[in-house]
Amino acid sequence: MTSITAPRNVLYCHACGMPPEYCEYGPDFETHCVPWLKSKHPDLFTKLHGDKQVMSKKSDSAAASPLAPTEPWSTRERLAAFYTKYMPEKLDGIDAILDKYAGKEDKLFTALVKKYGPEPEDPYCVAKYGAASDDEDEEEETTEQMSNLEIDKKKRRGAAAKSTSKVDTRIIIQKISRNRKKAVTHVVGMDTVPNLNLKDAAKAFSKRFAGSSSVKDKEIIIQGDHLEEVAEMIVKKFGVKEDAVFLDLDGEFVPFGG
Amino acid sequence: MFKRFDPTNDVSTSTQVKASVQRGIKSEISHSHPSLTEEILDDLIPKKGGDEPIFFQHRDGPILPTLKFVHKYPGLEFTSVRVDKGAIPFLLGGANVMCPGLTNEGGEMPADSDEKPGLEKGDGVVIYAEGKEFPLAVGFMTMSSKDVRSKNKGTGIEVCHYLGDGLWSTDEIH
Repeated sequence: MTSITAPRNVLYCHACGMPPEYCEYGPDFETHCVPWLKSKHPDLFTKLHGDKQVMSKKSDSAAASPLAPTEPWSTRERLAAFYTKYMPEKLDGIDAILDKYAGKEDKLFTALVKKYGPEPEDPYCVAKYGAASDDEDEEEETTEQMSNLEIDKKKRRGAAAKSTSKVDTRIIIQKISRNRKKAVTHVVGMDTVPNLNLKDAAKAFSKRFAGSSSVKDKEIIIQGDHLEEVAEMIVKKFGVKEDAVFLDLDGEFVPFGG
Repeated sequence: MFKRFDPTNDVSTSTQVKASVQRGIKSEISHSHPSLTEEILDDLIPKKGGDEPIFFQHRDGPILPTLKFVHKYPGLEFTSVRVDKGAIPFLLGGANVMCPGLTNEGGEMPADSDEKPGLEKGDGVVIYAEGKEFPLAVGFMTMSSKDVRSKNKGTGIEVCHYLGDGLWSTDEIH
């Protein structure tokens, strides 16, 4: 009975938290889990992945050509495949070519594709990702960059509406009307002020303005319309520069100092 | 169920249940997992309530063990099934088990007898995978094992908790 109820120490992957045998289904298998497993539990690695080792190496080189220089074997095979397809007679010279292009293999392959045509596809890669050629990769990259740009734009727009950057202090004070008569004052960006506890700040506000104030998602909400007074208080009490405090007047952000 | 479970937000209170309820829970667990006798459960379940989740129940569903708990005690025999290799990535994404995953080569369920199927509809099961040592999900049958074999279409097990979900990454509940 004790043998059944005795807990066993279960080994989980330090990179992804799964039992090692399920690591291969995770997104960071080759980049994080494999190195960890190899260094910490080499015997388990060979038990789990010994037979697939060759495959994963291949996919490494095909999926990420920048990584290729660290594994010259795979680059070499890639090049060999290329030459077998287009000019088998030059196969013997590939070592020399590799030496010549050491460190800039990606350039070599781009040039080869330009000269002879599309690169032969890695069978493992095809099996895994469908037809994945280099051109597609590039396209993906550019679209990624585009979307990054878009995000940047959005971020910039977002920064105008709500201060999101953690590095520089920027505070925006908005008045939001709740009823016809009642209003609340939102203070966004107090978390960007160094050495300031949001709750303490809220407490200080509620004392000063004799009304409730609360912290919600890093915003401080104060009952009542205290736009100017809050700004003044932030500058005086919390030592924030005047040009870092903005007032939201009808959707426009006016620096408090100006 | 626990895909986006976050103990800091989703746990409101935790309470110690009274002794009679504890007995009820234990007998229910040992009923659905016959090899877990109540003496074993007494050993496993801390008297004064630990922080670590070991079993859970959703509404009136079966009481299911958490995966960390199952991994920890390999000697215990829970009511279990095995799915084929192809189902693994889907399960790890939180999908339910479809019938072919259980009936294909590599899948396994308790055998049916004439009068009684191996698993009834609603039974809680621990889901193992072909060629793997550790179970990867727990769930309950949405049809009996007999129906799974005969229909062989659609959802066979509704997965409640799987490797990598919110409950999996929860070590302690306060």
